[in-house]
Order: sequence, then C-alpha cells, then structure tokens
Amino acid sequence: MSEEAKEMAATPKPSGWQEFWSKEDWWAVWLGLGILVLAYALFVGGESISWIAVAPAKWSTFSQLGNQFSTDALRYVAQAAFFLVLFSLAIPFLGQRLRTFIPSFLFIYLLSLIIFAAGNWVQSSHYNLEPPLVALVLGLVTSNVIGLPRWLDAGFRVEFYIKLGIVLLGATLPFTLIIWAGPVAILQASIVSIVTFSVIFFVGRKLGLDARLAAVLGAGGAVCGVSAAIAVAGAVRAKKEHPPIAISLVVFWAIILIFALPLVSRALHLPTGVGGAWIGTSEFADAAGLAAAQSYGGLAGTDAGISGTADQALASYTLIKVIGRDVWIGIWAFVLAFIAVTFWERSEAGSKVPAGQIWWRFPKFVIGFLLASLLTTLIVHRYTLGDYNKLVKPSLIAPITALRTWAFTFSFLSIGLTTRWRDFTAAGSRPLVAFTAGVIVNVILGYILSVQVFGNYWSSVATH
Amino acid sequence: MDAVKQTVVGARCKNCAYFFNDPLVLEQVFGGLAAMSSGFASVRDQDGLCRRHGLYVSARDGCPTFKPATLLAGG
Repeated sequence: MSEEAKEMAATPKPSGWQEFWSKEDWWAVWLGLGILVLAYALFVGGESISWIAVAPAKWSTFSQLGNQFSTDALRYVAQAAFFLVLFSLAIPFLGQRLRTFIPSFLFIYLLSLIIFAAGNWVQSSHYNLEPPLVALVLGLVTSNVIGLPRWLDAGFRVEFYIKLGIVLLGATLPFTLIIWAGPVAILQASIVSIVTFSVIFFVGRKLGLDARLAAVLGAGGAVCGVSAAIAVAGAVRAKKEHPPIAISLVVFWAIILIFALPLVSRALHLPTGVGGAWIGTSEFADAAGLAAAQSYGGLAGTDAGISGTADQALASYTLIKVIGRDVWIGIWAFVLAFIAVTFWERSEAGSKVPAGQIWWRFPKFVIGFLLASLLTTLIVHRYTLGDYNKLVKPSLIAPITALRTWAFTFSFLSIGLTTRWRDFTAAGSRPLVAFTAGVIVNVILGYILSVQVFGNYWSSVATH
Repeated sequence: MDAVKQTVVGARCKNCAYFFNDPLVLEQVFGGLAAMSSGFASVRDQDGLCRRHGLYVSARDGCPTFKPATLLAGG
C-alpha cells in the first residue's frame, strides 16, 4: 500500500448513516412524525394535543385579547417549552449551541405570538395585516434597520422550521389528493421549470455568462430557489463566486414575489386554490412561497371576496412546489453534471457523474410529508364523516394545523431576520438581466397554466 | 492494483486538505444562504469549497492535485 493510500485509510470518512442526524431534512421528518404519533396516541387515549396547540383566537378589542392571554398564559408557556424541548433535540446536531439557541428561539416565539395575535384582529384583513407578510416585514426591518447581534442567528433557522411545517402540513392533506393532483402538479411544474431554466440559461449564455453560472442561475429560478442553485453549483463544479450571485438574485426576486403574487391574485379575485397553484409555480424558495400562499389563503372568508379556503391555497401550493418541483432537484443536478463534464469541462479529471446524487440530493423532508399524509389518511379512513367532523378534526387535525402555523410563522420571521442586504453579493447586470427574463416568463406561464389551463382543477382541491 | 484502487477511492475531495464543507462556515461564506435555504439541507449533500481551485465541488469529486488532509495537517 502506498503512503498516500495509508493516509487515506487513516482519514475518518463520514458514514452514510450520518445524514440521518446531520441534515435538517431528516430532523424535520423525525420531529414532524413524532408530533403526529404523539397527537394520535393522545387521541386514541381519549385525550388531545390541542391543549398545547394553543393560538390566539379572533378578537376585536384589547380587553378581549388580554382576557385570552390571561386565560391561556400557562398553555403558551407550556407550548414554548414544548417547542424548545423538541428543537433542542436537533439543534446540537445542526451546529448550534443550546445556550445561544434558547434565547434566540424565545425571541422568535414572542414575536410570533404578537404576529399571530395581530393576524387575528377582526380588522386585520382590512389593513392587509396577513401574518406571513407582517412577519416578513417585521423581520426585514429588525435585521436591516435596527440590527441584531449575530449570535441570535442560532434560532433563525428558516429551512428547518419550514420543513417541519411542511411535514405537519402533510398530516392535514389526504393522500388521495396527492395521488389525484400529483400528476397534474408534476406536468404543470415541469413545463414551467424547463421553459424558465432554458430562458435563463440561454439569455445568460447570449450575454456571455459562464455556462456553469448560467446553469446555477437557471436552476435557482426554475426549480427551488437557493436550494436548487446551491445543489446544481456543487454538481457542475461552479466557481465559488457563482452561488452568491444566484443567492442574491433569488432572494431579491423571491421577496418581491412574496408581496406581488398575492396582491395580483387578490386583484384578479382568483380562488385560493388557483392562487396557491400560481404561487407554487412561480415563487422560488419553499419558505417564501409558503409565506405568499398562506397570506393569500388567509383572505378566504374575509371581505376581499376570495372564494375557497385557506387550506386550499396551501394544498395546491405544496403540491406544485414540493411534488412538482422540489423532488426533481436530484435529476436536474444529475443531468446538468453530465452536461458539465461532457461539454463544459472535458479537460478536467475525475469526470464521472454518479447517478447516486439523484438520491443524495433528494429533499428528504418530502418523505416525512408523504408519510404524514399517508398515516392521517389511514386514520381518518376509519371514521364516518360525522365522526370525523365531531371527533377527529377538532382533536387531531386542528391542533396539528395550529402547530404547523406556528412552525411556518417561525420560518417567515426568520426569512426577514436573516435577510441582511449588506451581506449579499452584487450580482452584476448580466446575471440580473438573464434571471429577470426567466422570472417574467415564469410568472406569465405560471399564470396561464394555473388559471387558464388548470384553473378548474386547482379551484376544486379538497383538503381534510 | 489494491493501492491504486484505494488511492482513487480515498483521493476524493472530502479527504483533501484544500476542501472544506462545514455547513455553518459555508453559510458565512455564501451570504444569504441561510435566508432561503440552509447549509444543512439534504440537497447540498456534502458539497464544499476547494481552496486550491476556487470551485464549489462535490465531496465525492477528485482531481490530480489532491493532497491528503492529514499530510497537510502534519506539515
């Protein structure tokens, strides 16, 4: 054995199993399914997790709100402790120290409570105080105008919270809906993804961008935002300057679309399911899109004249975004890696493209989403409609929905709190033009498919 | 033949002195990564930065300029 080989044998190698506790995707699966199992165990025993799934109810005067808080104070303390215990299981494995995470999370929790309460003010929709947008704006102002110490970032885990929320969302979606709507979601998302990627890539190449940068930008705009950009960057061996350019452009446009898509959907009076589908097709990052979809769904039943339910917006959004776009990132990375080694960097060594990366890069939280949906569908299947409405919904589904909304709110706040514009790289005019061309095509094509072609389909999405 | 095989398998970026892929460090290097994604996301696999070539590569990649991490650490 050569000296070099001996050195290699001595170097510790990460085991394949390590991913189960070193990636937040898997932690979202463990925690999300853990909550579901706990909720079901309590339900079977004649109890409910609803005591801890407390959230502010509708209020019109401050005295009403004060009464709510004084009545439920203990429940809120217990809920904060419940989340802390839950997250503290994962946080040490995700590189954070508990002594910085705990105060940071409590800060997030308190702000979320305020946002939750503001969103349940009876006049909130009149003043456009949709909780996701309020959370985002509050976070952006706090981080960019007021400023916070960096150590507080320990609790601002956008993706961790959103993935946990999506797993819990799975528990509130019938598995039959995923089977029914999945193929349409995949078809619609694939059309838009391929067209958007092509526009960004070819406009970028026309403007003289490096092929790998054009591919990273294209993936960011077409698949799942920053996550896709960073995944494809690794697959095609991008220059280290490339990911920050894509990150800046994705976040810039994603923030604009969080506000613009619900606004335009509202102006067009799109049903919530249709608006959710459009947002799922045209937003980039999961958390940003969920903020927009939840915000739009929140308009159902208000004086805005939007038909449908809040859950329909989230359901159609998630089907398009998660099933239609996110799960294909491994395929995109594999194909682009193959193109990279075949055409862009033929002279470089080590040019094999392992098919394994289709799995390695698979967003594993989707497994939790699907399992949660399957489990609750099997549970619900055993009850009549009457028993479902009387027993299962209030004791099992509604509390999980409340906990899901908390997880989403933590995430929306964290987006704003971690988006510090001074940290972003200047993208340059040519990447900006290429990416913006893709955004324009994406939004128009997304509208045509969601509203004109599959509008009836998305407006009839049925949830639990 | 065994030595060659082991060198090829071992000489991956993840064992190279020029490679680093600590998720928290990458979140610092790529400003904004944590705002809408994460260093700890599955989609990132074990990718990291190569200090020598200035590339963002897979930990499973390799190249002729591989240098074992333990050799560099030992001087």
